[in-house]
Amino acid sequence: MSLLSWLLPRKKPVLSPEQQQRVLQLPAPPGLSEASLRQQRWVVVDLETSGLNLNRDQVLSIGAMVIEDGAIDLGQAFERTLLRPDNTLNPSVLLHGLSPEAIAAGSDPVDALLDFMAFVGDSPLLAFHAPFDQHMLGRALKDSLGYRLQHPFLDVAALAPMLCPQVNPREAGLDHWIRHFNLQVEDRHNASADALVTAELALILFSRARTQQIDSPLALQQRLNQWQRRKQAHSF
Amino acid sequence: MSKSDAFLQAGKTAVLQNIHGTMQFLQRFPPFNQMENTHLAFLVEQCQLRFYGPGESIIRPTDGPVDHFYIVKQGRVVGERTHVGREDAETTFEITAGECFPLAALLGERATRTEHLAAEDTFCLQLNKPAFIKLFALSDEFRDFALRGVSSLLDKVNQQVQRKAVETLGTQYSLNTRLGELAMRHPVTCLPDTALREAVRLMHEQQVGSIVVVDGHKAPLGIFTLRDLRQVVASGIQDFAQTIDLYMTPGPFYLSPDHSAFDAAIAMTERHIAHVCLVKDQRLCGVVSERDLFSLQRVDLVHLARTIRHAPRLENLISLRGEIGQLVERMLAHGASSTQITHIITQLNDHTVCRVIELVLADRGDPGVPFSWLCFGSEGRREQTLHTDQDNGILFEARDATQAAEIRQRLLPIAQQINHHLAACGFTLCKGNVMAGNPELCLSRAEWARRFAAFIREATPENLLASSIYFDLRVVWGDEQGCQQLRRGILEQVADNRLFQRMMAANALRHSPPVGRFREFVLERKGSDKATLDLKVQGLTPFVDGARLLALAHGVEANNTLERLRQLVTQEVIEALDGAAYEEAYHFIQQTRMQQHQLQTRENRPYSNRVDPDSLNQLDRRILREALRQAQRLQSSLALRYQL
Repeated sequence: MSLLSWLLPRKKPVLSPEQQQRVLQLPAPPGLSEASLRQQRWVVVDLETSGLNLNRDQVLSIGAMVIEDGAIDLGQAFERTLLRPDNTLNPSVLLHGLSPEAIAAGSDPVDALLDFMAFVGDSPLLAFHAPFDQHMLGRALKDSLGYRLQHPFLDVAALAPMLCPQVNPREAGLDHWIRHFNLQVEDRHNASADALVTAELALILFSRARTQQIDSPLALQQRLNQWQRRKQAHSF
Repeated sequence: MSKSDAFLQAGKTAVLQNIHGTMQFLQRFPPFNQMENTHLAFLVEQCQLRFYGPGESIIRPTDGPVDHFYIVKQGRVVGERTHVGREDAETTFEITAGECFPLAALLGERATRTEHLAAEDTFCLQLNKPAFIKLFALSDEFRDFALRGVSSLLDKVNQQVQRKAVETLGTQYSLNTRLGELAMRHPVTCLPDTALREAVRLMHEQQVGSIVVVDGHKAPLGIFTLRDLRQVVASGIQDFAQTIDLYMTPGPFYLSPDHSAFDAAIAMTERHIAHVCLVKDQRLCGVVSERDLFSLQRVDLVHLARTIRHAPRLENLISLRGEIGQLVERMLAHGASSTQITHIITQLNDHTVCRVIELVLADRGDPGVPFSWLCFGSEGRREQTLHTDQDNGILFEARDATQAAEIRQRLLPIAQQINHHLAACGFTLCKGNVMAGNPELCLSRAEWARRFAAFIREATPENLLASSIYFDLRVVWGDEQGCQQLRRGILEQVADNRLFQRMMAANALRHSPPVGRFREFVLERKGSDKATLDLKVQGLTPFVDGARLLALAHGVEANNTLERLRQLVTQEVIEALDGAAYEEAYHFIQQTRMQQHQLQTRENRPYSNRVDPDSLNQLDRRILREALRQAQRLQSSLALRYQL
């Protein structure tokens, strides 16, 4: 693959008729709701990728948990390792911990992504550093399915300092918040374990939001936008 | 594989990842650590994980019948009960990671009586009721746990105590074993008209030490043992064709097969017998011999009691003292509870006291006046541990003051010698001189009665303290009637004197149990006792004082704290549920205290009632905290009752 290959027009993905059918059946996401936070079904996602390059690196695995009726449903979860035969060993293997064998034994990315989108349905997504996951997932869906991701994403990494202003936001990694709330993670950097701990963090944040009279997904999004605008204004 | 199957399959593996993590968490706590993996996985798969912020209500009485079972994953849940006519809520319990609620309400299909609130950021696993019911049917361990609630946790602790003690002894045998499992299933029996010769031949053939004489319906009429045979031979009888009913011990003592090995051991000690018949539906179904009990468990209680009772000299008694310590260690190993052990220690101590008195009387000659040896305090309540002070006195009958003084002069030298001999046997001399050798404690019945009446009439701090020692009186040696009359007098006067009761209640609130509203334990902050709590003063004393007050005020004659609590429940002075909770809590604190003493002895450390909660394992610490909270509840109920 040449360095400039990303400049070339992308190849259109080749899907089987059955797969095409499934793409067409994916529900279109509505905007964020004005109903209560508790009524909203959320999908909390964590991606493990081959690296942090937004344009070159690939999604290697997807872990997701569901928040429904205000609680994490341990019976509903998603985890899939994607088959990436062309993925060579690079240093981030140390981070995501997926061995080349595990990746080679993964599922067809097309099927895995279709399964994931079926799992998501029309629910909004939550992730820690959501813009990264949103971008990586969006690109994977575009490349593999020719599907445009339009689901709203809320960034837990931004909600946390907004809702917990007393916490020193200088170090704002997931590990920082895990320590701050004394959460237990059995296997950090496993996509589904990370999704679970992010979901736990989200539950705490929803509870904090309610005490601050923010009680709908839409209100939460609006408050977050204001807060980010204000922060940017301050930093100039 | 179809697409939807593949989806399902993938879902399953993903589920396993996080389910596995949650299972690992649960496996650190009972009963989950004993459940089968498939059952535990079922539980976790059906769970929702919920978050509650500080002060947020989880379930409350107004929610109606409980629909969910909760396990605290992280954080702390407190129970708050509001009393009619009182503004503030009372924290009744605390639930932390790994603990479950609300079992009683869920099983009783009712609403909870206590509001459950998150005390801090708290995550709970929430299981819906249908899944709870299914799990209840699937898993025996879970069902046992759910049915027994906290008691099952206490059992776990007891088993843990046994395991630990057993490790040092290398044997596994419990004093709680049913006699039915121990006994000879086909006891050797004969009819009453059997010839002596024939009966002895049967015993010889079967290699047994006893034969039970039964009627045609297998009801036991008597027992004939090797000891009886020795007597028969020694008495020079020639005619062994005589029938056995002439030589048997009639009306043999019996227990049911459901009684425990402990019950049999106690019966043998009390009655000086070596065989106990087992009778069910009036039919003989087994015989347990001393040897059956002790060859198995090596707890030579009967032997020890008998040796004490027949010790020829003081030196023998002194050397037997060490054996009592070893016995206690062995009994803990065999699963005896603290109640059983204090009971045994009290009994062996009583035997020692009696023997010392007998030896002194034999030495100095009979004083010619009947007297009773009284004991007070923990000895009076039959709650002695190995480390015990003397608290005793003498009671005698006298016509008038002159005769009383004259008798006192005769008894005092004897009493003083008894005190000194007891000290040699390990009963430490009382620092406060509460001993029979003190002329003020060697009194006639009239003098005692006057003294006790003064305690009740003038409730000074000294008198209150004295009443907390003397009003637990009991006779160890001698006639019991005089003491009975004294006790009735006390009960009548206390029942009539509301002011005295109120002062005693205030006295019972002196030591508050060391648990805070939002902290685990409130510990000593300074000095050599830093970070410890006193199990006796802060843990047991509230129960002992509370039970004494309520017992005296309601005419309960029992002395023992647990017995007092039970009778108070029967008289509906305290609620049955509260009584059971107090009893369990008291029992647990006492058990912890005795384990500490054993540990101190083994490590050659000085004896102390102080414990550092951090040195206990997690389960013990949790239960200790709950037990102390029960002490707190008893105190606040006294405060309410006496409006303090």
